[in-house]
Amino acid sequence: MSTTHAAVAVALVSLATLGIGAFGLRVSRTTSDFYVASRSVSPSLNSSAIGGEYLSAASFLGVAGLVLTSGPDVLWYPIGWTAGYLLLLVLVAAPLRRSGAYTIPDFAQVRLQSVAVRRAATLLVVGVGWLYLMPQFQGAGLTLRTVSGSPGWVGMVLVAGIVVVNVVAGGMRSITFVQAFQYWLKLTALLVPAVFLLRAWALDGAPSPVAPDAWFAPWSTNDAQGLYTTYSVLVATFLGTMGLPHVVVRFYTNPDGHAARRTTLIVLALIGGFYLLPTVYGVLGRVYASDLVAAGRADTVVLELPARVLGGGLGDVLSALVTAGAFAAFLSTSSGLTMAIAGVVGQSLASGPLAGRLSPISSLRLAAAGCVLVPLGLALAAEPIPVATSVTFAFALAASTFCPLLVLGIWWRGLTAPGALAGMAGGGLAALLATVLALSDRPGGWTGTLVGQPALWTVPLGFGLMVGVSLLTRSRVPTTVARTMVRLHTPERVDVQR
Amino acid sequence: MAEKLTPEVHAAYERIHDSEEFTQLRSNYLRFVVPMTVGFMLWYLLYVVCSNWAPGLMGTQVFGTINVALLFGLLQFVTTFGIAWVYARYSARAMDPIAAGLLEDFEREVGR
Repeated sequence: MSTTHAAVAVALVSLATLGIGAFGLRVSRTTSDFYVASRSVSPSLNSSAIGGEYLSAASFLGVAGLVLTSGPDVLWYPIGWTAGYLLLLVLVAAPLRRSGAYTIPDFAQVRLQSVAVRRAATLLVVGVGWLYLMPQFQGAGLTLRTVSGSPGWVGMVLVAGIVVVNVVAGGMRSITFVQAFQYWLKLTALLVPAVFLLRAWALDGAPSPVAPDAWFAPWSTNDAQGLYTTYSVLVATFLGTMGLPHVVVRFYTNPDGHAARRTTLIVLALIGGFYLLPTVYGVLGRVYASDLVAAGRADTVVLELPARVLGGGLGDVLSALVTAGAFAAFLSTSSGLTMAIAGVVGQSLASGPLAGRLSPISSLRLAAAGCVLVPLGLALAAEPIPVATSVTFAFALAASTFCPLLVLGIWWRGLTAPGALAGMAGGGLAALLATVLALSDRPGGWTGTLVGQPALWTVPLGFGLMVGVSLLTRSRVPTTVARTMVRLHTPERVDVQR
Repeated sequence: MAEKLTPEVHAAYERIHDSEEFTQLRSNYLRFVVPMTVGFMLWYLLYVVCSNWAPGLMGTQVFGTINVALLFGLLQFVTTFGIAWVYARYSARAMDPIAAGLLEDFEREVGR
């Protein structure tokens, strides 16, 4: 594909992102605007924004790459990502919104009346966010290299830069507009080329995919390790979604609990519908681009198919469109994550070391710039791994820490601060350690499987520690628990009381 | 976020927490969520189990290159959405009215 088309596409998406962000800036004035868009985002706008933010590099490039490599039965990845939203809706969405807090650390403090739990939750937000940002940046590098041949760091630095400018400029309010726009851009960018590709495939006589038998046969890896991996991914995606900081913060931007439920419903339709498209690319990839698997570039199948199948001017234009969509994916997810991390860190800065010297909004801006540098460094240093696999580490960490904190915090009055700390520390350290081992040592055999997809053992560890230590420290159940419980489970019209 | 509460407000919260309606609210919730979550998990695991132990069934071609596994996978998306929809309706019917009643009690009690 021609470099010019790709450059134009990337430039247009970047400019549109900055432009819409600037529009948001004109309406962002107060601190609440910056942190939670003044809690006044309507369900339809909010759900487009959630869809835009949630469909990351892993969804846009990774699912097609997985289908290309392993066949249609990897549909359980996107199913897990979708079903995670269902659990979020049923278990935490409305109560969390009613807690009246801005972030997970706020929630932890309100519920458990403990500054230590708040600090631990803040650290974890940063950890989960960094783990999730890294693959986004790597995906950006990969995309720009594929379409234009530029070195990997160009795409990474470009995305990181735009994200920081956007968050620094407009905060949550402007990010919401950007995200909503990017959902529809991503959908168009996969849908339009898919229509042309399917037509070309039909005119071609609808050839069958060329692949080894294992690709067609469901579950070719039906040994114990394969089964463990499947269940582990399932647990991570089911339970991790509710703990992703950029997902959870969106529920604070709903006007009330009822709107939070409606938002989730629309989101499920939006992301479920979206996931059909990468599957089409993966299957067509087996017809026209099987060589990518052997070349270790399965993640690029979405980007390469239009040029390969259609060629000519049409192929160039559609490739540019897909590239634009991919960039929208990196930008939207990274913006949402950066916003979520910066929101939490900025709040700590403004109330801690920089209290009085820096306004809340300046703290948020400072935190945004700082929070992007570490994952950018990681992305530059780490070897690329398939993007759908690497995001599961972030899911596993969130599922082992925030999932127990939120579920038990909302539904079990016996949770205590020491219990929450023990669970977050135990589950979190185990998941982090597994991630570090899997990325650096890459052990083989059962050890490799256990650290490669840790959720199946780290989530029970987190829950177990949280319940166990809480039961041992019963005297530390916060005295405010009755009030918090009523507040979490009744609708909120009395502003003063929250 | 530790805010000051007057003793009356605190008492109101305590009373609501111990009230029958609040217990009812939570049990209505659990009565829906527990079976639904378990059911959905089983339905979801069935997909994995079938793929694992009934590859013949899952590999059956329905039409063209579309096999049972693919249809099964797509059905998972549909059911996910369906459950969310049913839940939204259920909470609007069985939970929101009780919650609204509790809120009225609270407002009356603390005199706003």
